[in-house]
Amino acid sequence: MEFGWTDRERAFRARVRDFLHRELPADFDRIARHGPGSREQTEFSLDFCPKLAEAGLLVPHWPAEWGGHDGTVWEHFILGEEMWAAGEPRGAQYMNVNWIGPTIMRYGSEEQRQRYIPPMAAGKAIWCQGFSEPNAGSDLAALRTRAERDGDHYVINGSKIWTSYAGLADTCFLLARTSGKPGDRSGIAILLVPMDTPGIDVRPIPSLIGHGDIHEVFFTDVRVPVTARLGEEGAAWSIITYSLANERVGIPRYELSARALDGMVRELKARGEFGGDHVRQRAGRAAAACEAARMLVYRAVDTRARGQKLGTEANIARIAVIKADAAVSDFGLDFLPDTYSGEDHPLNLAHHERAIVAGIAAGAAEIQLEIVARRHLELPRGA
Amino acid sequence: MRFEANEDQTTFLSVLDQMMASDAALWRHSPDWRRYDLAPELDGMLEENGFYEAIAEETLGAIAAVALIDRAARLPVTLEVAASSMLHAAHAPDLPRPVAVIDGPLDRATRFLPVAKSVIHIADGGVRAALLPEGAVTPTESIFAYPMGVLSGAALDWQALPVSPEAARDQWRIAIAAEITGALQGALDAVRAHVVDRRQFGRPLGSFQSMQHRLAEDVAAIEGGYWLVMRAAEDFDPVAVAAALGYVQDAATAIVYDFHQFMGAMGITLEHPLHRWSYRLRLLKSALGGASGNLGLLAERRWGAA
Repeated sequence: MEFGWTDRERAFRARVRDFLHRELPADFDRIARHGPGSREQTEFSLDFCPKLAEAGLLVPHWPAEWGGHDGTVWEHFILGEEMWAAGEPRGAQYMNVNWIGPTIMRYGSEEQRQRYIPPMAAGKAIWCQGFSEPNAGSDLAALRTRAERDGDHYVINGSKIWTSYAGLADTCFLLARTSGKPGDRSGIAILLVPMDTPGIDVRPIPSLIGHGDIHEVFFTDVRVPVTARLGEEGAAWSIITYSLANERVGIPRYELSARALDGMVRELKARGEFGGDHVRQRAGRAAAACEAARMLVYRAVDTRARGQKLGTEANIARIAVIKADAAVSDFGLDFLPDTYSGEDHPLNLAHHERAIVAGIAAGAAEIQLEIVARRHLELPRGA
Repeated sequence: MRFEANEDQTTFLSVLDQMMASDAALWRHSPDWRRYDLAPELDGMLEENGFYEAIAEETLGAIAAVALIDRAARLPVTLEVAASSMLHAAHAPDLPRPVAVIDGPLDRATRFLPVAKSVIHIADGGVRAALLPEGAVTPTESIFAYPMGVLSGAALDWQALPVSPEAARDQWRIAIAAEITGALQGALDAVRAHVVDRRQFGRPLGSFQSMQHRLAEDVAAIEGGYWLVMRAAEDFDPVAVAAALGYVQDAATAIVYDFHQFMGAMGITLEHPLHRWSYRLRLLKSALGGASGNLGLLAERRWGAA
């Protein structure tokens, strides 16, 4: 066992940090205050990501053929860790880089690859993910949005909800049912739908997690050509299972949490309020939670980096990551409540808004617990 | 970043696992219903085969020593492993073992004293060790699942050890943290087996979601703790050490509660080994300042004074 970094990994992290240091404005925490889906952060990403691409740091893990450098699993991960800690200046584009691009490379037609990948590799594409529906959240296969075949087109009707980034996205990675009843995994197809197609109506949902982050998206007789389909009809479930397998470990949230916690302690020290045992122990507890989450995430990444199949390592890591986010957010709220009013402490506000969604987005905490109970502990199902 | 054991560590762990699966490691209640059951045969095998000396071997190191402490603590039988493979092997290998460790005042009830042949004392002024002659220890009754005793006050021939109290305490912190993760894992395995077998309301207890989710959370805490301990054992980084022990001591309280709940009445009898782990944990989680002390120490090491 060895828990340090190689020279190459250290050099790569230093490159990313240097770039962030150079390119992020001093007030980036204010820009990132309202989350990756906000207008401010999205606009920033459209300026920032092309520069990142030019520096070879937007898609370093992609194959050279598509603008990458065939980087390692760890380099991809280090990039994500540094970006999230900095407030995610890539905005919604982290999704392109992490899984939408690689999925299109693997399953897309040549036309789809040529159309969609170059703008992603250039840092100019905003995507949204049309998965959840009013009656299909954690139980995604229950989705009802239909895509009916009409000659060489599909006609899409239905609605999506809690869709991040939909307000500013160019394209939607949409799951729609081409056959079968809700619950039938084999009747789902993936459609790559330009968001300016007539019949799409996007409505922001006022929420606790930042400006413009989540939306309802209504599809009324939306016509897309059959060539917009990614893979075969009915193949969606296996494609997204493959594509999201690498994403199961989720966002390296503990890194922003640790940074926010350090900021909270700095503030408490400046106020002369970091002397009591109680506050120090609570800060220590939050820090330990971040470090436990970090180790469990690293273990999952290491499994992948060694080319081994992930078991429940990622689900276990997610549980710890969620707890670490909550520990830091609760620490801030308990000891620095005034910093959550006004706009003087944007990092605390931004961290809190990201923390409260940690256990909900990308597979709820309870789903992770369910998977660990069944597959790791092999506990029996109920009667 | 490599979570896989190296070749020598893999061999070490594989031979260790075989020993840990031998008859000498199995649960049996002690004839007089004590809360502990020493395993001299297994202890002898480990000692003869050099397992306690792993920390001094370059390719095994503290990682292997800590893995040994964790694996031994998973057993229902009681072994004095932590002191032997950490402080003893690193600083006083010539002293006879088993070894008891006293951190702080000498007049407190301390585990393993009644069976120890030597004692290591960590005090602010220095670390020292002494042989324990006949009559040097008075055994005491205890709720904890260890042989407990106090020094009887007889004069001991203390010898200074070449290690600072700070370094010794940090090594001891990691040894104890590994005992905690091991005891938690051992108890988890036993509780899991119980809730899979035991049926109530026509179904296995473990099929109830109320238990499943809590056990899954316990898994995340135990494994998080395990890897914090392994990470800290790599170089005894002071922040990593405090984080590891503070984290596992903090987590142990709620997990022990869960385990006793899920084991029900069976878990409060001495006919089931759960008490072996839980009444070790109840002592270990108070060690070296307990969760509060070690999380406070983490704060001090990470952020400095107020």
